[in-house]
Amino acid sequence: MFELFTSMMKEEWRIHSTIFGSLSFALFPVMIAGIAFMSTFLLPLFGTVIPIQQLVLITHALFLLLGVMVGGFGLLGNEVMNRRFGQASLLAYSARTLPLSERFIFLNFVIKDTVYYFILWVFPFVAGFGIATPFLGISLLYPLLLLLTLTLTFLTGLAWVFLLSTIYARSKWVLTLAGLLLVVASGAAYLFFGVDLVRTFPPLALFNAFSPVVLLEALLLIIVPFAIAVQTFTTEQADATKRYPNRLTPLMKRLSFFPYPHLAAKDLLDLLRTGAAMGQTIFSFLLPLGLIWLFLSLIGSFLPHSALLLLFAILTGVLASTMYTWLTAFDTIGSYGCLPIAVRTIIFSKICTFSLLQVIPAVFLAIITITTGAGQYLPSVLVLGLAISFFGLSVTVYLTGLSPNVLIYDAKVLVTYLVSMAIVIVPLIILSFINPLYPLAAVLLLIPAGYLVRHSYPKWERADIEGF
Amino acid sequence: MAALLEARNLSKIYGSTIAVDGVSLSVQKGALFGLLGPNGSGKTTMIKMMTGQVRPTSGSATVLDLDVEKDPITVRERIGIIPEQETPPSFLSAEEYLHFVGAVREIPDIDERADWWFDFLEFKDKRDVLCKDLSRGTRQKLMFTQAFIHRPVLTVIDEPLINFDPIMQMKVKDFLQTYVKDGGTVFISTHILEIAEEICSDFAILHKGHLLYTGAIRDIGDEHLSEFFISRVGQDSHV
Repeated sequence: MFELFTSMMKEEWRIHSTIFGSLSFALFPVMIAGIAFMSTFLLPLFGTVIPIQQLVLITHALFLLLGVMVGGFGLLGNEVMNRRFGQASLLAYSARTLPLSERFIFLNFVIKDTVYYFILWVFPFVAGFGIATPFLGISLLYPLLLLLTLTLTFLTGLAWVFLLSTIYARSKWVLTLAGLLLVVASGAAYLFFGVDLVRTFPPLALFNAFSPVVLLEALLLIIVPFAIAVQTFTTEQADATKRYPNRLTPLMKRLSFFPYPHLAAKDLLDLLRTGAAMGQTIFSFLLPLGLIWLFLSLIGSFLPHSALLLLFAILTGVLASTMYTWLTAFDTIGSYGCLPIAVRTIIFSKICTFSLLQVIPAVFLAIITITTGAGQYLPSVLVLGLAISFFGLSVTVYLTGLSPNVLIYDAKVLVTYLVSMAIVIVPLIILSFINPLYPLAAVLLLIPAGYLVRHSYPKWERADIEGF
Repeated sequence: MAALLEARNLSKIYGSTIAVDGVSLSVQKGALFGLLGPNGSGKTTMIKMMTGQVRPTSGSATVLDLDVEKDPITVRERIGIIPEQETPPSFLSAEEYLHFVGAVREIPDIDERADWWFDFLEFKDKRDVLCKDLSRGTRQKLMFTQAFIHRPVLTVIDEPLINFDPIMQMKVKDFLQTYVKDGGTVFISTHILEIAEEICSDFAILHKGHLLYTGAIRDIGDEHLSEFFISRVGQDSHV
């Protein structure tokens, strides 16, 4: 049934190209290639600060993260299908009327997303690197090897999160137990047998020293969890008898200090009932940040602890700013069209709910700072992390309104977002490295953030939003 | 009689597609007005422009003497809207959604009103089911309820009966006629001509984005609305 896969690919392309225009969307991989191309020329410069081995490791870590984040979609099983496709007459939904099992359709859906993101991210990145290598005298074998190892890395992240997601869909307790076992086993391997899990990560080991045995290991690391995931996949058939007592009204009362308690209560119920409150926190926040912390600690010997911590606070802030997408991903924006609610009201309310969610990064940063014995830097870490998060939020709101999940794939929007963030992040990194107290100045970011949010209201009020 | 809803030269262009092309029409107080047209004729776009959900490319609309483009929120405060495709929020139960609407519209006795509608449209047993798990028909009942629960003077409905079974259709048709008798005004869009002929007092025909005809049902005389519609649309198709 190759037709289903190819049709899904066409459909995905048409959705994106309809939203952004064919040219704009086609430019996205070109932009990724461009960034990789230009970054390659900076390699000799980076090499003077951080060993190339560490850069290779960080690159692989980033693609593992990409796989983890893409794989997270499997978290909600058919809920994701319903949310993404439920009301639209798309193939993943309408194909259910054909004599095909849901598992087969879902398998095609997963493979389609894998190929799609490979074309969108992995291949352009390696292509950009590959085009630049002859100018730097790097052997052409390296881009080819990198294509293989980054693809394997991406697929490893995808397959494992897919497996964890399917376990999560069946039992949250089993997932917790599996997670604990994984942590204990990793810790034991490191402590008692001296196994460096990062260095022995098969795709990375393959890049460092190619061998058929390691290639087989890398493949098994993908195939085994993926096969188990497909077998254990559950479609969570909608149970018509599932009943929910009215939790909106009491929640509205509890949130009466919010300017729009009904909108905030609805957002929180969306997060709770989709499983996103727990799922997104684990898969889109804690897991990526855990990986980032792991890899940052590897370059710890090159940086003072305060700088490392503040760099981590910046990255946490960037990731925390994406919590805005949690609030829009599960909302049916079109359903507000028949009610007297202005776009600015919805955006403002989501910013308020976003502020509430910032407790998560704040607590997370506090735990990391205190447990690493750097409590004296806590004010700087918190101010830096939260200021970056709110600034990132304001840029996102200004650029994408209530559709951050789709508009961020517009090359123009993404470049503007990256440049806007880089303009504030780079000076803050430098300030953090000079003096750990200087990042307190990040509080000033709230001024441009407020300006951007104020100007985003009329901008998105003027636009025809889908469903509005 | 005063026009409760008036469109003046309304146009909407999406890229190279003209969805609505200079349409003018007015709906008097107490009318049950039907906007008729084949699929893709621009009916939904017209409704979205007249209720402030989409901005017109040119032209203007007034509803209850309010300029829709300048004051869309007040317009939506005062009227009821049932969209054709939009569904209630997936992760609220039917009851929670009505409470949400009650909070938005500041309805103090939302519990009593919701109970009345649950009974009237016979979906009390679904009040604690999430909207995403409701059947299309029950979702339509819920959307119908949210549009009337604040007792508006004007209600705009896109394809009002499309998901209802015959018994519920009859009940809803009766309700609409009583609502109009009691001083309300209804603007519906539909391509089901039998419904329009049965309940509408006035109608307009939209085809390929432009207005072909507007007038009272009684003005077409003995001719059936379906014959009248087909001849008008047929002639226009051959132009």
